[in-house]
Amino acid sequence: MSSKTTRSIAHYLMLSPFMLLFAVFFLYPIVSGFFYSFFEWNAAQSSQFVGLANYTKVFTSRSFEKATWNLLVYVSITVPLGIFVALGLALLVDSFSGFWAKFFRSAFFIPVVMPLFLAATIWRWIYAPNFGLMNTVLSWFGMPSVQFLTDTGTMLYAMIAVDIWVSAGFNMVILLAGLKNVPRHYYEAARLDGASTFQQIVHVTLPSIRPVLFFVITYGLISALQVFDIPWLLTGSSFAEYGGRANTLLFPVMDMMGRGFGSVRFGQASAYGFMLTILIVCVTAVMFALRKRFGDA
Amino acid sequence: MSTIDTSAQTTSFSPALSEARRRSPSFATVLKWILAVCIAIVAVFPIWWMFNVVFSEPGVPISINPRLYPTSLGAGLNNILIIFTETDYLRAYYVSVMYTLLTIAGILLFSSMAAFEFAQFEFPGKKLLFGIVMLSLMVPTAVTIIPTYLLTVQLGWLNTMQGLIVPGLASAFGLFMLIQFMKNIPSEMIEAARLDGANHFQIYWHVALPLSKNALITLAILTFMKTWGNYIWPLIVAPSPHMYTVGQVVGLFNAPYSHTTVDIVMTANLLAAVPPLVFFLIFQRQIVEGIAHSGTKG
Amino acid sequence: MFLKASFSIAPVLAGMLVTTGVAHAQENVVLEYWVYSDFAQGEALKLQQTFINEFVAKHPGVTINIAGKGDDDLLSGQIAGAASGTGPDVFMNSTSAGSSLVEAGALKNIYAEWMATPESFRAQFNKDLIAMCTPKPETMYCIPYTGYGSLMFRNLTVLEKAGVDTKAPIRDWADWLSQMEKVKASGKYGVPDMAQNWASFLNIYSGVAEASEWGADFDTKKTLINPEKYAKAADFLQKLKPFSTGTNVNDQATRDLFISNELAFYVNGPWVNPPLEQAAKASGLKYDWVMVPGATEGKKAGVQGYEFIGVAPKANAKLAFEFAAFVTEKQQMIRWAAALGRYNSNVESLADPSVSGNPLLAATAQSARTALYNKPPFFLGTFPNSYWSAITDNASAVADGQMTPDEAAADLVEELNEILADD
Repeated sequence: MSSKTTRSIAHYLMLSPFMLLFAVFFLYPIVSGFFYSFFEWNAAQSSQFVGLANYTKVFTSRSFEKATWNLLVYVSITVPLGIFVALGLALLVDSFSGFWAKFFRSAFFIPVVMPLFLAATIWRWIYAPNFGLMNTVLSWFGMPSVQFLTDTGTMLYAMIAVDIWVSAGFNMVILLAGLKNVPRHYYEAARLDGASTFQQIVHVTLPSIRPVLFFVITYGLISALQVFDIPWLLTGSSFAEYGGRANTLLFPVMDMMGRGFGSVRFGQASAYGFMLTILIVCVTAVMFALRKRFGDA
Repeated sequence: MSTIDTSAQTTSFSPALSEARRRSPSFATVLKWILAVCIAIVAVFPIWWMFNVVFSEPGVPISINPRLYPTSLGAGLNNILIIFTETDYLRAYYVSVMYTLLTIAGILLFSSMAAFEFAQFEFPGKKLLFGIVMLSLMVPTAVTIIPTYLLTVQLGWLNTMQGLIVPGLASAFGLFMLIQFMKNIPSEMIEAARLDGANHFQIYWHVALPLSKNALITLAILTFMKTWGNYIWPLIVAPSPHMYTVGQVVGLFNAPYSHTTVDIVMTANLLAAVPPLVFFLIFQRQIVEGIAHSGTKG
Repeated sequence: MFLKASFSIAPVLAGMLVTTGVAHAQENVVLEYWVYSDFAQGEALKLQQTFINEFVAKHPGVTINIAGKGDDDLLSGQIAGAASGTGPDVFMNSTSAGSSLVEAGALKNIYAEWMATPESFRAQFNKDLIAMCTPKPETMYCIPYTGYGSLMFRNLTVLEKAGVDTKAPIRDWADWLSQMEKVKASGKYGVPDMAQNWASFLNIYSGVAEASEWGADFDTKKTLINPEKYAKAADFLQKLKPFSTGTNVNDQATRDLFISNELAFYVNGPWVNPPLEQAAKASGLKYDWVMVPGATEGKKAGVQGYEFIGVAPKANAKLAFEFAAFVTEKQQMIRWAAALGRYNSNVESLADPSVSGNPLLAATAQSARTALYNKPPFFLGTFPNSYWSAITDNASAVADGQMTPDEAAADLVEELNEILADD
């Protein structure tokens, strides 16, 4: 009994540094931010309680509708596609051995290493109209120039390409670590049963890496819902100019930051943040429920 | 051990490969190589290109001549000299390096301690604590940035190293990731260590940490990337030039009205890309070794 | 007894506090001074540092830290700083960001300090800009500082190859288009995509519109854009489309095309001149600048914008104001204009013989005489972000042929009024 108590104390002692930092630098700010969402919050002048006005203002605004719709389309493409690509890369690297496995893994991971501002600068050149790299290649095949970052029909896809380019290496490394932990004799057994490479992937690899896959999907979903940096850097990248032509690349976090720092509506920005948080919490709860339902490996 | 592993792994995805390799490469193998090389080119080209812009004669437009290879060492060195002499780039390097390394150290220590508890033990209130922490993973960082900033100001930490570092140390991401990995530590090993007389902290330090080396290295690298590339937080919490990070100095060059030409902008960018690149290349080997050692589980 | 003792001690204490307070103020005052990033680089930084040293020499014990910021960092840093009381003490920004900063509480009302300065100092400035800084009676938020008027840079190599007579001035839009026809025939680009940002759009719209037809009225919450004039500008944007590079004027790709003799006309502010000058030396770029052409002969187009220097409502505001007044003063502005060829709002400094001969400055000044203000009115209301993007989105849609100019104009005015009413 007493040893159990000492052990509990030891658990809490180990947890305390993290939990303390967490309470001070996460819980406290979030509570005070929640408080601000009910105020017409102007740093200098005294703030004024406005009830739910900030929420209704955000909810009924045109940009909120646009940003939410964009987010929906973006998430439903980028998350599955991104994980598909990352898994493909992980399997590809895993099929090499020795030096080349190392080499290709490093090469595929390099985009993750680069600071985003730098990646964005380069992609802007690749996407440049008429004379950019992409349009030069298109012109070799006799195709007309595409305005990747200003044509409302292509902007989102151009951005998703950058998004996957940046994130695929990240997910690949995590999936690869999972793949390495799959016991090799599982494959041998499957091969003895006459399973093809594809069948081995579906019946051996995927079930074995389920926890890692779950991590990658959940984290991918959560970060996709908070997308900010890449569309910000591919469009005007300033509080005076963002979201691109017809707000095609406007997403909720961007809209929220714009209301805060661009239009000095911190109350609205806080309210926006909370609506977004509720959405993300719901999505994550669904993911956890799904994991429970389909079993944890 | 690791040799056996790798050969098994080679054959596992293309059963025909090991036999075929002795004679001539199969169609699948050729395709695999072509694919891998193409993807590698797509991934690496931007850095190569940026390098070429820096090490080329200025004045020739990029949009016309894509600069597929470097042409002038002198021009590049001159560009780098301009950056180092006309801006406080070295000072910014120091700030960024300290900011990044201390953040990594803090995150690794605090998250691994907490992850060890969450992954391996049951204790009263665990579910609640875990739930609250997971919540922070779901909250957009942008939501908390203003209140966190105000708190940092109240603490008097504006333009200080602790102001940059400490608010970012409670990394729910790191915790979540380490929990996923630490769950795989067999509880028998922990019990065995306890029977050998190790106390709780010793088990964490001597058993759990070494077994999680891969995960810790991966987390360190990801934290490095995230911190080195973090732009918005240093921007508001360290606005004074003596605390500028590399990202902020590069931002000065990237501003649309800045009086700089593209080769100088790319030089600033390239110099910002060098440390993460070097960091990655060095620790690359340790990741590989760490993975080979993780045979413990099987 | 006790009371008495404390009474007798009080003045002594107070006296000590005052003296130490004063001594403190003289010894350890640090002013944070934030400027645009191009003010903190190269030649401009050296000059700013000289001003600071001169000011410090007259105010011993004062330290002034200059920090250069990108456009956005400047604004967000000032707003976040105002929220916490830790922002800069004295800083510059664009007048178009003025009302945001007033709302955020970042700017002190400096009317009293301003009126306390000598008349001879106050008379040095452009009257319109002083009025702009003073939106209400006895409420003044800034001292006008630097500024710009837009110019059209011409690549002479491209134009000569296309057979354009570069000596003859461009009369009107039709003349401009006919030059671009020739440029296109020789395989080069005419202009960047002028519909992509509000400033390049305004450079076109100002070719037909008057000052009273741009901006918004915040009392009635209505846009001032004249739909007929807008339709004319939109129609012209449609005609420019075949000659366009498809890039934004602020893209580095645009500047690169101009430098590499692929682009004939480049409409932008005078700040793009230094890299062009450098290219002229390095690669033999031949270029000049002219006024932005208007729709008809005699109508001048162009955009003008101004930066101000403001003071935060903080303890050192008085000293910060003195510094702001010092750097904007004639002697400093003469040196600034002479060294950099950059325009400013100190009218007397521009008339100085060491300055007035500078060709870039003379052209900027000429442009500023007729150009429209960038985002008026200043310090009276905050435009929602969507206001400006609605304009460029609409203009781009017309240029792409998705709407007729007349439809687009009606749509836009309706949308802008909605945006203003919503906020």
